Amino acid sequence: MAATARKKLRRGKIKRLLAAAALTLLAAGAFLAFQRLLPPQPARAFPSGAIVIGVDASFPPFALDDGGNLSGLDIDLARAIASEIGLPARFVTLSYFGLYDALTTSKVDLLISALPIEPGRTDDVRYSQPYFDNGLVLAVNAPSAPDLQALAGKAIAYEYASSADSQLRAWESGGSHFQRRPYELPRYALDALRYEQAGAALIEATAFFLYRKEHPAWAAAYTYAARAPYAIAVRHEPWDTLRLLDAALAALKESGELARIIDNWVGS
Amino acid sequence: MLIEQQTVETVKPSVCVHSLLENEVQEEKILRSLALTRELGASAIVQFFPWAYFEQSDDDFSWERADFIIKHARLQGLHIIARLGLVPEWARRGISGSTLNTLPSESFADFAEYAAAFAARYAGEVEHIIIWNEPNLSFEWGYQPVDPADYANLLKATYARVKAANAQMTILAGALAPTLEAAGSSAGWNDLAYLRALYAAGAGAYFDALAIHSYGFLDPPEAPPAANRLNFRRAELLRDIMLEYGDAAKPAFITESGWNDHPRWTGAVRPSQRSAYTIRAFQFAEANWSWLERLCIWALRYPANLNAYPDYSTLISPDFQLKPIYYALQAHARGWESETRLWLPPPEKN
Repeated sequence: MAATARKKLRRGKIKRLLAAAALTLLAAGAFLAFQRLLPPQPARAFPSGAIVIGVDASFPPFALDDGGNLSGLDIDLARAIASEIGLPARFVTLSYFGLYDALTTSKVDLLISALPIEPGRTDDVRYSQPYFDNGLVLAVNAPSAPDLQALAGKAIAYEYASSADSQLRAWESGGSHFQRRPYELPRYALDALRYEQAGAALIEATAFFLYRKEHPAWAAAYTYAARAPYAIAVRHEPWDTLRLLDAALAALKESGELARIIDNWVGS
Repeated sequence: MLIEQQTVETVKPSVCVHSLLENEVQEEKILRSLALTRELGASAIVQFFPWAYFEQSDDDFSWERADFIIKHARLQGLHIIARLGLVPEWARRGISGSTLNTLPSESFADFAEYAAAFAARYAGEVEHIIIWNEPNLSFEWGYQPVDPADYANLLKATYARVKAANAQMTILAGALAPTLEAAGSSAGWNDLAYLRALYAAGAGAYFDALAIHSYGFLDPPEAPPAANRLNFRRAELLRDIMLEYGDAAKPAFITESGWNDHPRWTGAVRPSQRSAYTIRAFQFAEANWSWLERLCIWALRYPANLNAYPDYSTLISPDFQLKPIYYALQAHARGWESETRLWLPPPEKN
């Protein structure tokens, strides 16, 4: 056979191989896209027949391990989600440093563990819709939400050396001026506000809600000054997991069950 | 960039911080971190020099980043305690399920060669090296069975090689993780039991000083030590074991210590307690532990936030905001009068 004919034959073979590869890729893509149009399947998302949840149970009131008994907002939320999906919940307690490894190596199906959304991790994991925001709240003794601009020159109470302390320093370096009123504990800062010895308090949201729960007669208004939304982490695949999870969260929001769980552990 | 030789101004030479410069991408941030260490009044840093970064293939060393860190730490007048560990892929020898901490015994000689090359290169610039980190934890031992005799062999393999390369180098045995793990735990060994077993395996002849990790957790620094409790003075129990095995002449270095002030973690204290406990820990150590050379706080600064409780162990935020504890430690180290009232008294209802 002439060299040119052999070359033609080889080129034809390569073309056919490339076409076959392209078709396979197209088919795989179409299959995945088609799968995502179908209703999510619990059996595909949770093949063990249970939802295996990784949690670091050392963050009350979100999760606490009391001699093997798990309790907290995250634990109740996990159980409510499992109930929505119709599967049992099984917990695996881990240290913080083991959480994401356990998820990416499929030792657990999802993580519900007071996890802030971390954009840097989204190559490996996806996050659900947020279910709680543990950022910093700016609280005032007033029926309407506070305005940071209106607080210029006023006394702001906060916990010494906390994230609120850092936030105030950041605002000050941006040109805002306040009278800084540091206290040893968050509850003292909130006492100062409640006793009208400060114009506002800047405080971790959970600490604020818990304090307000202890003082139901106190009329305080608040706004978030910094956000720290907590969400549930899952692997990228199967796609069904996140869809089931977000649907369950939406149902819990709709029914008021999520608000009831949050109110029970933190306050509303 | 021309930086003049600086001197650390301090009245407390034991003050030291654990820096985390190995993963800092921007050189400018390395320089700023080192300058802030000097300004803190800390005269030494513990700094990790990962083997996997510097010898990516066998006998092919690439020291640029280590050269940079060491040169600039020295320019700031800082002593360097170098922690060595983290295994390059070629030295893991294809072990299935291996991690960056998996060091098969067949590679001990390769690790020793790296340590010796490091010791030779930085002779006169680095005086202390730590061999490995927390070998009593399964995670830190690459999920291989934790075995003090194995670690004793690693020390033995490394000691002679390093001394031959640089006789002046002080070799520290790796600090053990403070842990109450029960015998047979898959997570690791109790640190006290591990140290005894390490001595029993003959490791005492192969280190010049002991590195210790001594976190306070929930206790104040003066709280007495107990075998079943993790607190700052657990260091004394490790020291007792050194004495038990005739190692009174060797000093110890606390290469990680401190408290955490995350608002929710059960292992944390309040920020006000963290500041006060840290200063009192230095005062306690200065008054009572003549065998201690350095007390190093974990950690100076992370390159980026982890968005988790470890963020609350640092002195400086990733964006270089100095936390109040930085100022408190600076006042202690430099002998300045510190503010007597850092916070207001609890408010009382009018």
